Amino acid sequence: MVFRLQKNELMVKINFRIWILIIALILALLMIYPRFQDGVVIKSVDKDYKAFESGLRPGMEILEINSVKIDSLNKYLEVTSDLLKDSSEKRISVITKKDSFIFLDSNLSAITVSEIPNSNIKTGLDLSGGVRALIKPVNGSLTDLEMSDLIDITNQRLNVFGLTDLTVRSAKDLEGNNFLLIEVAGAAPDDLESLIAKQGNFEAKIGNVTAFIGGDKDITYVFRDATQSAVYTPEPLGDGSYLSRFSFTITLSAEAAQRHADITNRLSIDPNSGGQYLSENLTLFLDGELVDELRISSGLKGQVASQISIQGSGIGSTPDIALSEARAQMHKLQTLLLTGSIPYQLEIIKLDIISPSLGEAFTKSMIYLALVVFIIVSTVIFIRYRKIKITSAVILTMFSEMFITLGIAALLRWNLDVAGIAGIIAGIGTGVNDQIVIIDESESKDNYSMKEKIKRALFVVFGAFFTIIAAMLPLFWAGAGLLRGFAFTTIIGITVGVLITRPAFADLVKQLGDKQ
Amino acid sequence: MEQNQNNQAQGNNSQVQHQHQNHQTHSTQHNSNQNENKKHWYDRWYKRMLLPPVILLIICLIYLFTFYSQTGDIIYKDSSLSGGTTITLKAELNIEGLKSYLEQAVDNVNIRKIADLSTGKQIAILIDSSAEPAILKPLVEEFIGYKLTNENSSVEFSGSTLGKNFYKQLVTAVIISFILMSFVIFVLFRTFIPSIAVIFAAFADIVMTLAMVDILGIRLSVAGIAAFLMLIGYSVDTDILLTSAVLKKRGDTVNKRIHRAFKTGIFMTLTGLVAVIPAFFIVTGLPDSFRQIFLILGLGLFADIINTWLTNASIIKWYSDYKKMN
Repeated sequence: MVFRLQKNELMVKINFRIWILIIALILALLMIYPRFQDGVVIKSVDKDYKAFESGLRPGMEILEINSVKIDSLNKYLEVTSDLLKDSSEKRISVITKKDSFIFLDSNLSAITVSEIPNSNIKTGLDLSGGVRALIKPVNGSLTDLEMSDLIDITNQRLNVFGLTDLTVRSAKDLEGNNFLLIEVAGAAPDDLESLIAKQGNFEAKIGNVTAFIGGDKDITYVFRDATQSAVYTPEPLGDGSYLSRFSFTITLSAEAAQRHADITNRLSIDPNSGGQYLSENLTLFLDGELVDELRISSGLKGQVASQISIQGSGIGSTPDIALSEARAQMHKLQTLLLTGSIPYQLEIIKLDIISPSLGEAFTKSMIYLALVVFIIVSTVIFIRYRKIKITSAVILTMFSEMFITLGIAALLRWNLDVAGIAGIIAGIGTGVNDQIVIIDESESKDNYSMKEKIKRALFVVFGAFFTIIAAMLPLFWAGAGLLRGFAFTTIIGITVGVLITRPAFADLVKQLGDKQ
Repeated sequence: MEQNQNNQAQGNNSQVQHQHQNHQTHSTQHNSNQNENKKHWYDRWYKRMLLPPVILLIICLIYLFTFYSQTGDIIYKDSSLSGGTTITLKAELNIEGLKSYLEQAVDNVNIRKIADLSTGKQIAILIDSSAEPAILKPLVEEFIGYKLTNENSSVEFSGSTLGKNFYKQLVTAVIISFILMSFVIFVLFRTFIPSIAVIFAAFADIVMTLAMVDILGIRLSVAGIAAFLMLIGYSVDTDILLTSAVLKKRGDTVNKRIHRAFKTGIFMTLTGLVAVIPAFFIVTGLPDSFRQIFLILGLGLFADIINTWLTNASIIKWYSDYKKMN
């Protein structure tokens, strides 16, 4: 097959290698699947909130909130922060692509959203926002079994947020240490942090005796709906701050209820309370810290009570903060009561909470920079060779390489982070270097055949290829694999270079050379 | 470059003449002096050309050694490697005021602004400190008067043990990477001296870049060290070009082969340099990790010019003279 480039110009024969390049480009386009759509999509809906009850779910595209059109993440943030201005309950209407939802709540903090993606390319946490935590036991390392238990329990705990992009997995580093790696892409709920790496040792004591502990052995059910759990209106404390109380009901197992009855049976009635309460209090501890201390009504003495009210409070400098603090505390307690405890202490050794709104500015800057670099390199190539055809071939190759690399990243659903993008650009840099070698070699006045010249150039190209692969390899393991993105995109980029674009480029140059 | 080419051409002519004359008659003393003068400049100078890079390398090593004895390490580390917190706050505010406010309570405070590339408007500030988020966050909140949320800020924390652990591993990774690269070079060329020359040049690249990074006072992050791994792979391509040109080509004189490789290689490196230079100037709009990678590649390319075309070229020329490859 023959393509006519220009009238009276030499023609480029589309042979096998160039066909491969064309096919790779088409496949990459299909993988990346660019589309143009404004708006935001729901990433998570907290199951304890009205928004969830009304039917809002992850994956829905939001068009309007309270009759304001939502066409960007910024617009969404504007509207939701307006809602936060007063803490009273109000009517919130959300119109999604397929349905509309109306509910009463003070704000929209139950849901997190992200912009509707413009393509299948997924960006990493440092660009799309999200949370990344590395967790390890305080003492020693975990066995594989302990690790898989920990992954389960963490998954259960984080499940209450209804997150779509949640990864909980183990990560090993060069020294064989294993960590628990938690990644949440997109906007993350504010109180997520309080749930990860908590040992979750809940203990209810009467006097010095343990009445019941967290986990499904003692606690069979934790009420989280509005009828049996509530956060109360904040009250001012004397010092200018506010306190908001919460309470929710739990169901004890028969055994735990009996234990509770036996303990209370042994207690006397506190005479100072006018006969209202028992002599000892019910104290609630979470990981050794006092959550709350409750008086036990004298009527409960010796009673087998299967339902018990758990209470606590949140304090904040404003009523709003106190309220959200109380809500977060309740949330945490409910979840930890439900999932039980982890039999060893954990510590967060790395925690990155990245705002999605900052990533946008960074992405814009990097695209801008890549464009500038693209133009500079093309100009330099043109100044050096003063041939439009060669320069266009270089530009075409640079573009193809980037495009195919992005296509592969989209196919593998690889999250492109900042270092990954740097890797792509650096990969293209090596690509340009290789092309310079090919052009110079092919244009040399040696007595070798063109085939021989290209073969020589490809020796350098492949030599450079293998040294970069060798150099980047250790990054797959070092530092718990957090730099894998950089190594991955660089290696994919240069592999695409040597396997697809470079042979096609060498062929183009050879044809251009042969014609001259 | 143009002048080089002329020199080269003259040099080659003179060599031809030189042989010709020798062949024809016994040259007089006068004549042989003239011939000595006419000998190609590179043949006379290449051994001496090894000296500047070696001296530079020694200076860099001494500098790094002194740096190590003063600071206990060979680089400045940021909070991702030494442990600490980085808060990126989407706000416009007085950096100096915040800095002096925070410095009363916590150590190692570094603050810089992030601006929009096109408008230059301050869009965020970056606060870096060795303190934990639980200490740093409330302090920042106190100063700005509102709560830090996931919407208005990013908080990145690395525990100090993890930072140390990461650092140790990344250093190990750099060493492994260097060994793997050396292995590939040996497999490629299968001759001892030329391979060692390439590896030595790569080593000098790293040492010189490291010294420059320290002199500039750059606090390296995890990504910055990863850039060194990339540099190991990236910097040897000109060395491979040079070595394969000298070892694998027949026909031309060695000088001509080196010169041809130089023309291609220096253009490769210069293209690389002009590509990374914008990242040097766009200081405020890019993520830190991104800037560091480009900065280190840029410095490395600069060092690579010296180490490929003075160090490596001189060694390979010496080797080929010794092997009488002309």
